[in-house]
Amino acid sequence: MDLTIQRRFVTPMAGESVQDIAARALPGEPLDSAVDQIRSWNLHIFAMRKPAGLILGSDVVFVEPPRR
Amino acid sequence: MFDVIVRNGLVVDGSGEAGFRGDVAVKNGLIAAVGTVSGSARREIDAGGRVVAPGFIDPHTHFDVQLLWDGAARPALEHGVTCIVPGNCSLSLAPLKAADRPKVVGMFQQIEEMPPEAFTQAFDWTWEDFAGYRDAIARNLSINVAPLVGHSVIRLWVMGEAAQQRTATPDEVAAMQDVLRECLKAGAVGLSTSFVDLDEHGRPVPSRFADFPELDALSAVLGEFGRMLQCVPEFYDVDITIARIDQLSELSLKHGIPTTFSPVFDNTSTPDNAPRILARVEEQFARGARVWPQMQTRPIDISFSLLRPSLFFARLPRWVRVLRQPLEARLHALNDPETVAKMVEDLGADGGQRMMGGLIVRGGDAAPAQMVGRALGEIAAERGQVPAQALIDISLEHGLDVAFLAADMGHEATDRIGPMLAHPLVHIGASDGGAHIASFSTYGDTGYLFSEFVRKSGGLSLEQAVRKITAETADIWGLEGRGRLTPGHAADIVIFDPDTIDRGEERPVFDMPGEGMRYVRDARGIDTVLVNGEVAYTAGAYTEARSGVVCT
Amino acid sequence: MSEEAVIAGAEIAAGHDGAAELVLRLRYPGGTEGVVVLEAEKGLELMAACGAAHLDELAGHSWRKLLEGACST
Repeated sequence: MDLTIQRRFVTPMAGESVQDIAARALPGEPLDSAVDQIRSWNLHIFAMRKPAGLILGSDVVFVEPPRR
Repeated sequence: MFDVIVRNGLVVDGSGEAGFRGDVAVKNGLIAAVGTVSGSARREIDAGGRVVAPGFIDPHTHFDVQLLWDGAARPALEHGVTCIVPGNCSLSLAPLKAADRPKVVGMFQQIEEMPPEAFTQAFDWTWEDFAGYRDAIARNLSINVAPLVGHSVIRLWVMGEAAQQRTATPDEVAAMQDVLRECLKAGAVGLSTSFVDLDEHGRPVPSRFADFPELDALSAVLGEFGRMLQCVPEFYDVDITIARIDQLSELSLKHGIPTTFSPVFDNTSTPDNAPRILARVEEQFARGARVWPQMQTRPIDISFSLLRPSLFFARLPRWVRVLRQPLEARLHALNDPETVAKMVEDLGADGGQRMMGGLIVRGGDAAPAQMVGRALGEIAAERGQVPAQALIDISLEHGLDVAFLAADMGHEATDRIGPMLAHPLVHIGASDGGAHIASFSTYGDTGYLFSEFVRKSGGLSLEQAVRKITAETADIWGLEGRGRLTPGHAADIVIFDPDTIDRGEERPVFDMPGEGMRYVRDARGIDTVLVNGEVAYTAGAYTEARSGVVCT
Repeated sequence: MSEEAVIAGAEIAAGHDGAAELVLRLRYPGGTEGVVVLEAEKGLELMAACGAAHLDELAGHSWRKLLEGACST
């Protein structure tokens, strides 16, 4: 059975900031816009977490909005 | 001469095959014969009208601390559970250096809600390594224990403070592999990790600072032993959970290990979540991965008091405004007749009967005993009040320290959940036994499985339900020689009444060290429980048997 | 359609730990939806930040409201 396509994500590399991840995941996008999008797609990191925005090595960081 | 013969029961042997009338004989702690057994035994138990089944296995518990003074993991054993898996969610009590104990105690208190005395008075903390912990609990067991080792404590052992600060270096990862290997040799049945849990300061537990290569390296060690990787994904978000399923599947395929994750809930606010999760699990199993979703049987309740603001009142703006104030101002407002009249008015013509009448007064706090366990609507009627007014007044009369419970607020749709529990790839578990002890009862999920999903809804047959929590669980976890009534298997046996097996009402008890409170549920319909051939519980009482083992 | 994600709806649900939680549906440009779950304190903060007296009044607010008051300690 083939895997259905699910929402794409990356995992942070050691020491990566949201800017680093945004630049890596959305290379064609202006950085500010890319960071903004990464934040809006990952509110489990940027809104739900204390401290907000703390990026953990184990994180799933979505690089696109929900698919449904 | 056998040690025990259980006669004339409906033998439901864990295989899923139809039950049959027969006997089960026990010798030297093992099942010796099943069927029509001739001969005699030192003890014969009449199981007429009862089901004779393998002891239940609970794959997700937090009894790590309790086991040090209570080898029966009360009340798990009386519910027919003969084997528990502690050490979930990245936390175990070993390996742990003496200097790091306070840190891990804080994490355990966050999850288990145990009073501090549980860690300072109830046992002698003599060990640091996993073998030491294994030996410490093994001395007094009435129940079998298949312990996981926690990723967070392994990290802490190797990295110290940095375990909660950063990813590990290659040398540190290698050291963690060595530590895990030692734990598995000493009897750990796998590794637990968490992507969700917090310590007592609200900071992510150490396992959450690990990157995927670290988990991959540890899974490689699990692969050497064919052992389980357990994890808690971000269960509140289906997309993240699916990403975790994919990660676990990659590890399962690469290292040939079983993996399991929990909890999986089915909630009406997000009805597509559980079906999407199960669909992904099916896809990954079809590729050969073993990624078992654990689903609990019991519904979720909401509990609150007026001591803290609760979203229970989110549809009542005035209540939110009043209850969000600092305590002194809140008390002032709740004592102001005009304000309270408006608050009650907000509930409409029925005075809150529909929204609040069914709330249960919980107890375990300042609630008077005569109110505990009763519906607010009933108490309000006795007081000649509407429920909203009674809720405020009862709270004020007891310093606001009265908890109210709204039952069955999530994971409660039996007609949806029954088929999911019956799904061949769904692992029934996630009880969290021994955790959240001051918030709600985590005991009796097996009784609820039979009362709600076998007797009431028929979602599972008796044989299916037994298989799910015995042989299937043993197979998933690689617990050899357990989970079946088959000659040569461990004589872990539960004898129960299929017409009455259930969980009792939730009630507060003060049996934790330091007279700490917890909520429990008594067992119903369980006659007798044997652990490794010895009667550990019968006729409503625990025996002196200490036949439990650390099993692998 | 909005050019950024907005709150599409809100409900109270039972959390794993027995507390009531705020479940928000966020609608993204393109029409797809995601879910954010907030604990009591954060959920009530959000309602205050949005000036919402009722759950239904959260709908239409920008996802950025979720960042306001996000705990930074």
